[in-house]
Amino acid sequence: MNNGQAIQVQELYKNYGDIQAVQGVSFDVHAGEIFSLLGPNGAGKTTTISIISCLLQPTQGDALVMGHSIKGDPMAVKEAIGVVPQEIALYDDLSARENLTFWGKMYGLRGSTLKRRVDEVLDVTGLAERQKGRVSKFSGGMQRRLNIGIALLHRPQVIIMDEPTVGIDPQSRRNILDSVKELNQQGATVLYTTHYMEEAQELSNHIAIMDHGKLIAYGTHEELVDIVGEMDRITLGINTESAKVVGQWKTLEGVHEFSAEDGTVELLVDDSNLVLPRLFEAATQANVRITSVDIQEPNLEAVFLHLTGRALRD
Amino acid sequence: MKIIDIAWKDILRALRNLFFLGFGIGVPVLMGGIFYFAFGGMASDNGLDIPQTDVIVVDLDEPDAAFGGFAVGQLTVDALAQNESLFKVTEMDEAAAAREAVDNQEADVAVIIPAGFTAAAFDPDGEGEIEIYQDPTLILGPGIVKGFVGSIVDAFAGASIAVKVTDGQLSEQGIDLDQATLWQVYAEYGGWAQELGESQQAGTGSLFTVQSPLSGEEKDTNAALAMIGGVMMGMMVFYAFFTGASSAQNILQEEENGTLGRLFTTPTSISAILGGKFVSVFALVVVQVLVLIGFSSLIFKTQWGAPIPLALAAIGLVVVASSFGIFIMSFLKDTKQTGIVIGGVMTVLGMAGISSVFTSSVPGASGGIAQIIPLFTPQGWAMRAWELAYGSGGIGDVLVPFAVCIGLGIVSFLVGVYRFKRRFG
Repeated sequence: MNNGQAIQVQELYKNYGDIQAVQGVSFDVHAGEIFSLLGPNGAGKTTTISIISCLLQPTQGDALVMGHSIKGDPMAVKEAIGVVPQEIALYDDLSARENLTFWGKMYGLRGSTLKRRVDEVLDVTGLAERQKGRVSKFSGGMQRRLNIGIALLHRPQVIIMDEPTVGIDPQSRRNILDSVKELNQQGATVLYTTHYMEEAQELSNHIAIMDHGKLIAYGTHEELVDIVGEMDRITLGINTESAKVVGQWKTLEGVHEFSAEDGTVELLVDDSNLVLPRLFEAATQANVRITSVDIQEPNLEAVFLHLTGRALRD
Repeated sequence: MKIIDIAWKDILRALRNLFFLGFGIGVPVLMGGIFYFAFGGMASDNGLDIPQTDVIVVDLDEPDAAFGGFAVGQLTVDALAQNESLFKVTEMDEAAAAREAVDNQEADVAVIIPAGFTAAAFDPDGEGEIEIYQDPTLILGPGIVKGFVGSIVDAFAGASIAVKVTDGQLSEQGIDLDQATLWQVYAEYGGWAQELGESQQAGTGSLFTVQSPLSGEEKDTNAALAMIGGVMMGMMVFYAFFTGASSAQNILQEEENGTLGRLFTTPTSISAILGGKFVSVFALVVVQVLVLIGFSSLIFKTQWGAPIPLALAAIGLVVVASSFGIFIMSFLKDTKQTGIVIGGVMTVLGMAGISSVFTSSVPGASGGIAQIIPLFTPQGWAMRAWELAYGSGGIGDVLVPFAVCIGLGIVSFLVGVYRFKRRFG
């Protein structure tokens, strides 16, 4: 580990023929923090962490995990990490205990240590009572918990989680987010990828935003939000685009950015509490009916929109 | 150690998999069973069990003083009665009563020897006919009786013809056939017929013979058991290759399920991961072959041959079937392709390889190209080793196909390992 950094990613590139999946990505993850890679599907998040997990070879660049190079000493890297893949990677014809025992052996655990760690993980994941049940009979949430539990068996210093909440119910999602925080509190460094802005916002000490294989922003939540300033974003739905009211709205005090298209008007304003009444007043005078109102305070969604011109979910 | 852990996990999963149990063990046994029950009803531990036929004999013939009191009718009755294993003989006096007994299913067949049959048999111009009256629902027993009686009658008919020919030749020379010469002709013909009969019993002739059941110590050389043995061999070779391929397919399945990728993120070398998978493929084919050998020996009484040739055939099969599965799967991208390959390519190669099972019992179909085609397939060489081991072959007989199986296995394995390592390395 160098200078308190658990992971140092240095100018990573990964090409698949003509496709550049990762283009010169660099970032550091401090020991003991939760670091989120945020970006839409296809941004290059999974490719990046697959390289860090020694699952893929980089076309160029290197990464150090706890001071070990993924190129020079991949076995030491693998011993230091626990990987939670995006898809559930379990043997569904084996029981929960059989799965944990097998994966524990793959992490080098044997004998009484293995048994103790399996018992601990069964308790942590809440699967102790179903330990002999075939995984194929488990609910999606139980499988997710076991999927995470496997990565914890050998008490890794770094846990890498690739979108662990994709496709699950809100309750299971909540449980997973809580367990990530708990793992972090116990000392683990967590590298977490997601395309859910709220998850990155809630969990992370530092966030890197990726798009089209590139790192487009990096910092704490506050630092990133500062990119778009303190302005609120107001989105209005109107029944008719009146040139008169649009002209009035553009010139209102406190409005900085304005766009109107297909009955939807977007404005970037200093303070929505002050601007919103004036917008309604102008609409009433012009006999324009406002059909919907959405106010967004500065957040990562706004940052992504600001940086790429696209919504994060696109 | 991790190799064993990975192999054991795969074996455990396979043994819980109904597909493996069904296709690896169930179907070969079922196929053998179908043949066993279709043809094996005739087969027991000791060979053919032909049920005893109830025969009623009505002998209306009488001894002919001209021939020293000899009676063909009595000879026939005695011959039938001596073959107790085939016939249960009851004598009756009236033909009508005998027919009625058959009609009432009190007997299977009635043999009615007419009066004056001996005289007719010895008269070169004479005509006599033995009536065989049978239960029309029966085939095998009455058929044997007909053949048995027919062989006796034919002998006398042949003797009559011989006498007639001799009489004609002597007449051309102006010599009359006297009683002594007549007896000499009958005696010489009888001697020749006796020799012919003995040679047929020894298996050197090709005419009708009736054989006793084989002794329990003899090898199951009778057709039914040999055929079941052949079917079991064919099924074992055919499905061993399926098991090899479907076990190796597990590598592609794990790749798609994400568990293989996850394994690569653990501190386990790629050699250990692939090594464990390959060990499981070999182990599963070993399990399958051992179970099928044991099962067929116990249930179908298949006698597989001497232990060492059998072991060589089994090792050859395991090596080539496992390695060929790894080889084939290393060329496929995903499990969508494996369906086509296992269902199509492996089936065609398998059927070609074990075609001798189907052609061996068809006259004219087992030679020439039918022997050559299987040898273009690994299944064919494995089958050849089994056939030679099964057919009382020695170590020397099995060595060539065994060596070919091992050679093919090594080449297939090395190519498969190279391709998988390049893919995941």
